[in-house]
Amino acid sequence: MSLRCRSALLLCLALVVSAPQMALAHAAIMEAEVAQAIRLHAFYETGEPMSQAQVIIYAPDDPAQVWGQGIADMDGRYEFIPDAIAGRWSVQVRQAGHGVMAHLEIGANAPVITVSSTPDTWAQRALMVALVAWGALGTALYARSRKGKPDASA
Amino acid sequence: MHLPDGLMPVEMALAGYAGSGLLAAISLSRIKHLPDPSALVPRAAMLTTVFFAASLVAIPVPPTTVHLMLAGLLGVMLGWFAIPAILVGLFLQAVLFGHGGLTTLGLNGLILGPPALLAFWLWRAAGRRWPDVVAVCAGSGAVVVALFIFAALVLAGMPVALDARAEQTALWAFMLAHVPLVLAEGLIVLVVLRVLRRTAPQLLPHG
Repeated sequence: MSLRCRSALLLCLALVVSAPQMALAHAAIMEAEVAQAIRLHAFYETGEPMSQAQVIIYAPDDPAQVWGQGIADMDGRYEFIPDAIAGRWSVQVRQAGHGVMAHLEIGANAPVITVSSTPDTWAQRALMVALVAWGALGTALYARSRKGKPDASA
Repeated sequence: MHLPDGLMPVEMALAGYAGSGLLAAISLSRIKHLPDPSALVPRAAMLTTVFFAASLVAIPVPPTTVHLMLAGLLGVMLGWFAIPAILVGLFLQAVLFGHGGLTTLGLNGLILGPPALLAFWLWRAAGRRWPDVVAVCAGSGAVVVALFIFAALVLAGMPVALDARAEQTALWAFMLAHVPLVLAEGLIVLVVLRVLRRTAPQLLPHG
């Protein structure tokens, strides 16, 4: 084999070896893993979703710094995957001065979700209004009955 | 239109308590110097209940809902008594319904208290001369003033991380959604005062 033929063979070999590396520079790579995400659903007490409300997340190791933020979708839903930091995560969802601060207690095994508040039923609300009205009526009647009477403490 | 717990900075919440405390102290001092301080207690008690329950009346204004405030009505009907009535009502709303919050009670008092006093002063200044016009202005104006105080407090207490432009846009939409409420509250004060004028003129507030 002539020297020229050997050189050509070596050049071909070098190209074959280096080709995958060059091709990799333009390749897209995907890695997938299973992760535990937190799914939030923010809505007003009337049941309407907090569409496109802003979401701010604080991690337990530095509650003063924002860990992450985003925008809820039209249904008021938002998902995030927290870091492996056990403790109390705080999530604030707000829109036009209204919103809620919820806390998620994430432990070593599984997250424990703390719902910010449970909406009252209409029956509960009616009962509370009736109780307050009763108290106000009592106050009003007491004030009226004392009017004109001499002060007992005097 | 209540500021909830957890959204406002601690220093603003404390300042709100200081402001509302000052407002309450001035109001109680003025009440004490009235000729008969206990005369308005029954009316204040009943209107406190009305104010407390009004937060349950949600008026759907797409894409949101608005609640009655009645700051103007309380101001016109109660005068200086409106401040303790509003603070008691806000406290009960926060504790029983979760409307607003205990940490933001002072700030919420500052949102509704001054508009109520403005309505009271407006009524006292011109209520005898133009009762209908002043009734509408007092009711509607109180909502407008409360909206601007609310917006100012929200913008002042906005976290740095928040998208300010998005929040401002949402605030404008929120304020526009309150236009029907502005009209409704003016109408409420007008109707209440007209009914009182016809049926029980002795109950009319004249400052």
